[in-house]
Amino acid sequence: MKRFISSHRSRAALVHPGDSSHLGLVVRIMAALVRISSVCCRGVSPLLFRSCSLIRPLAVQKKDRDCPYLISAKIHATPSSYAGSGSKAASLHWTGERILSIVLLGLAPVAYFYPVPAVDYSLAAALTLHGHWGLGQVVTDYVHGDFKIKMANAGLFLLSTVTFAGLCYFNYHDVGICKAVALLWSK
Amino acid sequence: MALLLRTVARQGLCLSRSQFGVLYRHAVPMGTTANEEMNKFWAKNTQLNRPVSPHVSIYKWSIPMMMSISHRGTGVALSSGISAFALAALVLPESYPYYLDLIHSMTFGPQFLAFSKFALAFPVAYHTFNGIRHLAWDLGKGFKIPEVYRSGYIVTAVTVLTSIGLAAM
Repeated sequence: MKRFISSHRSRAALVHPGDSSHLGLVVRIMAALVRISSVCCRGVSPLLFRSCSLIRPLAVQKKDRDCPYLISAKIHATPSSYAGSGSKAASLHWTGERILSIVLLGLAPVAYFYPVPAVDYSLAAALTLHGHWGLGQVVTDYVHGDFKIKMANAGLFLLSTVTFAGLCYFNYHDVGICKAVALLWSK
Repeated sequence: MALLLRTVARQGLCLSRSQFGVLYRHAVPMGTTANEEMNKFWAKNTQLNRPVSPHVSIYKWSIPMMMSISHRGTGVALSSGISAFALAALVLPESYPYYLDLIHSMTFGPQFLAFSKFALAFPVAYHTFNGIRHLAWDLGKGFKIPEVYRSGYIVTAVTVLTSIGLAAM
């Protein structure tokens, strides 16, 4: 970018401000540069972050004359790369899934050494949520179509709710998850 | 002209949409997200009743592929098991020790018990250890192909050993 500015400044020094043909040429060069950089250099961000090395203006000028038609580059720019804010919901969900996995990993030895009700309920919550999010990813992968996706997710939500209710009921009215595993393994 | 360039260069990161329009005259930003694009693809192609090219049925299976689908398979199976257990807890009249003793009285000896313990422990162990492998990937580690295979073999070996150990308890 700096190279471009310095070369442009030298060009600007030779141009009279009122000379419209030169002005139009410079604008077209700029636009063509941006066009080519957006096609070559992975879309919007390089220009924004000034790290992409732009093509020399002279080469562009000639190419521009050879191609009278305009090459349009369709940029897939997610909202967060504009000046406005995009939603971080998906990203936070991903992070939440990983954190929950680590929590569940930590709960296993705790459940073995301290089989108390607090651990029972934590296990119920962590297992249900981990399963819910995991099955949610399976639905996202294999179910297509707005209505089917909605139905599948509604069904999943119902299943997870019933699962959590059942596990809490078991924890309260019966022996609890930790004791249940211990009993099962004692046979 | 030079002024506009200087403005652009200095602002660098935060261009407003109007300036965007000037610079990107020939670049057409898409108004849709990747998710919307995907849904449009599926809607159009299913509506036209186009056949899907064979993919999983023809591609040569590899260890990483098999381990990946096994991770999903064990996950779905374990989740279903937990849901079934929870449902049973809500529906069945008697308590857990009662049903446990009932099943215990129906079994065919200690080998059967050891085998069923192995059968329960195996998916839990596999999903856990492969899950750790996944978390390592999420940290960006272990993506080289030899590393993928090596971690895969380690996960499988540790799973089998753990399952045998747990079944013996």
